[in-house]
Amino acid sequence: MAEHEPGRLVGARIKRTEDPRFLLGQARYVDDIVLPGVLEVAFVRSPMAHAEIGAIDVAAARSAPGVHHVITGEEIAQRAGPIRCDSTYPSWQGTAFPALATKRVMFTGEAVAAVVADDRYLAEDAAALVTVDYRPLEVVASVADAIREGAPRLHEGWQDNYFVKRHFVGGDPDTVFAEADGVLELDLITHRQTGIPMENRGCIAQYDRAEETLTVWTSTQIPHLVRTGLADSLGIPENRLRVISPDVGGGFGIKGNLFPEEIVVCVLAMETGRPIKWIEDRREHLLASIHAREHHHTAKVAYDRDGHLLALRVLMYVDCGAYSVYPWTATMDTGMALGILPGPYRLRHYECEGYSVATNKCPLGPYRGVSRPAACFTIERVMDAIAHAVGIDPLEVRRRNLVRPDEFPYTSVTGLVYDSGSFLESLDKLVDVSGYHGLREMQEAARREGRYLGIGIGCYTEQTAHSTSEFVKRGVPIIFGYEAATVRMDPSGTVTVHVSTHSHGQGHETTIAQLVADQLRIPLEDVKVNFGDTSSTPYGMGTFASRSAVLAGGAAIRAGAEIREMLLRFGAHLLEVDPGDVELADSCVSVKGVPGSGISVKDLARFAYHRPEKLPPGMEPMLEAGASYDADPGNGTFANSAQLALVEVDPETGAVKLLRYVVIEDCGRMINPLVVDGQVHGGIAQGIGGALLEELVYDDDGQLLTTTFLDYLLPSSTDIPDIVVAHLETPSAFTPGGMKGMGESGAIAPGPVIAAAVENAIGPFGYAFVNELPITPERVCGWIDRARAMHAN
Amino acid sequence: MSRTTDRREVAVRFLLNGEKREARVDPRALLSDFIRHDLGLTGTHVGCEHGVCGTCTVLVDGRSVRSCLLFAAQIDGAAIETIEGLGSDRDDLHPLQQAFWEHHGLQCGFCTPAMIMVAKELLATNPDPTDEEIREAIAGNICRCTGYVFIVEAIRAAAHQMAGERRADG
Repeated sequence: MAEHEPGRLVGARIKRTEDPRFLLGQARYVDDIVLPGVLEVAFVRSPMAHAEIGAIDVAAARSAPGVHHVITGEEIAQRAGPIRCDSTYPSWQGTAFPALATKRVMFTGEAVAAVVADDRYLAEDAAALVTVDYRPLEVVASVADAIREGAPRLHEGWQDNYFVKRHFVGGDPDTVFAEADGVLELDLITHRQTGIPMENRGCIAQYDRAEETLTVWTSTQIPHLVRTGLADSLGIPENRLRVISPDVGGGFGIKGNLFPEEIVVCVLAMETGRPIKWIEDRREHLLASIHAREHHHTAKVAYDRDGHLLALRVLMYVDCGAYSVYPWTATMDTGMALGILPGPYRLRHYECEGYSVATNKCPLGPYRGVSRPAACFTIERVMDAIAHAVGIDPLEVRRRNLVRPDEFPYTSVTGLVYDSGSFLESLDKLVDVSGYHGLREMQEAARREGRYLGIGIGCYTEQTAHSTSEFVKRGVPIIFGYEAATVRMDPSGTVTVHVSTHSHGQGHETTIAQLVADQLRIPLEDVKVNFGDTSSTPYGMGTFASRSAVLAGGAAIRAGAEIREMLLRFGAHLLEVDPGDVELADSCVSVKGVPGSGISVKDLARFAYHRPEKLPPGMEPMLEAGASYDADPGNGTFANSAQLALVEVDPETGAVKLLRYVVIEDCGRMINPLVVDGQVHGGIAQGIGGALLEELVYDDDGQLLTTTFLDYLLPSSTDIPDIVVAHLETPSAFTPGGMKGMGESGAIAPGPVIAAAVENAIGPFGYAFVNELPITPERVCGWIDRARAMHAN
Repeated sequence: MSRTTDRREVAVRFLLNGEKREARVDPRALLSDFIRHDLGLTGTHVGCEHGVCGTCTVLVDGRSVRSCLLFAAQIDGAAIETIEGLGSDRDDLHPLQQAFWEHHGLQCGFCTPAMIMVAKELLATNPDPTDEEIREAIAGNICRCTGYVFIVEAIRAAAHQMAGERRADG
């Protein structure tokens, strides 16, 4: 019996249909796949951040027990091209990211050679026997090192160390700055962080000589793009290359990249004729997967005495590491932050100069929120700084600056069209749900007891489901504007939906099924969602950028609607009435207003394939439809949120305890509120990690000091308070059903919200502007010292 | 698998999810690799291999251990419990598995088996834990997806469910 009424699934709080296999330990992640004769790889990685490679001696490794093969950069360069991902911007300078380093290593952890052995233990033993003659070069370990006069050029043929230089001016900031009541200058730093999926990266490649086909199982968010990237690198036609992304233990953007290791594993499978497996360890992951977030912004702020933000000038540097990553390019963070930085506020005069800088560090790439956390940090800290400068409550300053309900669709100063939103309503709801005024009283009472509580608030609007025109504007080589779905009804009347996206925790097996089951008025249990295999799913980009529900969901709705039309047409033909006179309900096509006249979807499906003589003229015996979806007008649909944190700071130790976190989330029409809440919680927890704990620290020699979870600290269950989530549902005017994306949302705002709360908590010592993330105890003590010094003067 | 160069193997006898087993193991094989690749029980996952993330947690003689920090050779005479020892299919879930399902206590699922094993240990010693005690008990297991909120709810719900079942059993 159907657990949920067909036709009423969207919007229902439904538990996920995919869960049992995970709960039972029956999920299949890459390392769970067993192939006969498989060999394992260990990589030899550079211990230096920048060095020329001299002789590599692999003789000892080749003769070590259990070793089958050893390959170096020079050898692999004969078989596979480097990863290139070039922007179309005029100022762009590109890189070639080799599968294994050849002449030079560019960051600590870069792969230099690969050893294939019977198992990982023996492969690691042998990898330790490879000796490489490194000749150290001057290391560029920071933006400051990279842009100073006389800095070594990191890439051949480059004029300087900038991947790209961006400049935007909107309105007339010169005049506004000259006439403003006040001007502030703020320095804002988000340190390097990363996503840390609990499953490391990993892949297996198997070459079938008879079929001349290479099959690659890899833990990725973007199977189709990995296939195209591998085909380009290896020179294999795409129809001879199959990429399967099985169950994936978290991605968060980190697994939304083509990696050198994937190319190496493919080459090794073709060279040895054996299946080759590489499972990354955590040290490799921290050193050499993808890093994120490292932004340095200098903001000049013009404001009036009523707390209005009048104009903003931002100088932005993003430390993009050694190479441009595929498929994003090294423009991504800079371009995105430049465009979204004005956030939900009515800013009309804005200038931004943004630089993507090359350094000898792990490449920078996407991580949940992608540059929006840094952009949000800047604009929200600007709001708090104005509030302090004019002496008005930060809540009220935001209220005065937010885009108002009657202004939607609102075109931002950077040309983004905010389709709809509930910016002011969300803030009002935050005040109610959090009991804001009561919290202020609690804070006062605590201060009388010598406790330092602080309250921070923040708002943002999240650009989601970005489509074609947005990516064209960003100058990326691959325009990620759409996703696709195929809906296939079989003779039993059950349905398989093949989507181009990938689900690795987001619950698409349930939510996409809800959408299609509603289109076809059949039970949820009759819809199966398939993804991850390039041989069975339509081409598309994958899961990232809060897009799957809107774009893959939109495509699934469209394809489902086509099947629905087929069923109506066929049913009307069998019932000998006009197609306009029938309806689809409760798994039946019936004459409108004539209950019991119906013919079931199951009968229609069986007839469509087995009794084609019953089909109306011109209708084919195939209940299958494919569609793609690209959310018009192209720059995405905008979700929004308002958030509050209550913290307690211990001024002796600098420790910050998060006491309460409240989120008002508006992602338009929700498909499944249970899944949405889960996504919000998870995003907030990652945002809290980024706000308080997580930092990848390099020393001046480009050595990563945080290569274990004892150094790179992740939030545990005792670091995360109960997260209170309340919703508003402002539907998008542009998307099917009014859906908006929200997968990244939670991760965006906790940085500035907690920063504001900490600043507020230490207020009794004086004013110190909290300008750096993460807010470590050491930094808190520094701010308290500064506040005391200011106070004393 | 030939994890050693000198081929000395160690004989071990142990209980695996209640069943008597014996095996010859390489001296440096980690318990996590032995469970996953030799016993074929891939429900136990490996997240950091340095004993911090908790993803590889199994129960040894009823106590949670990180199987990446033990050698397989150390389990002689021990009783090992893994996630495969709980429910068998979607209609036969352990109350903890059912509660994780009902309360959306998982997303990517990678940390889930270990989280459930730790919760099982907690409820065996403390059948009615407070939220704070639940948070303390799972603090050694990192979940990157859920923010822990629904995991805590799920464990609380399972505790109530199991208490109810005990009362019904008299």
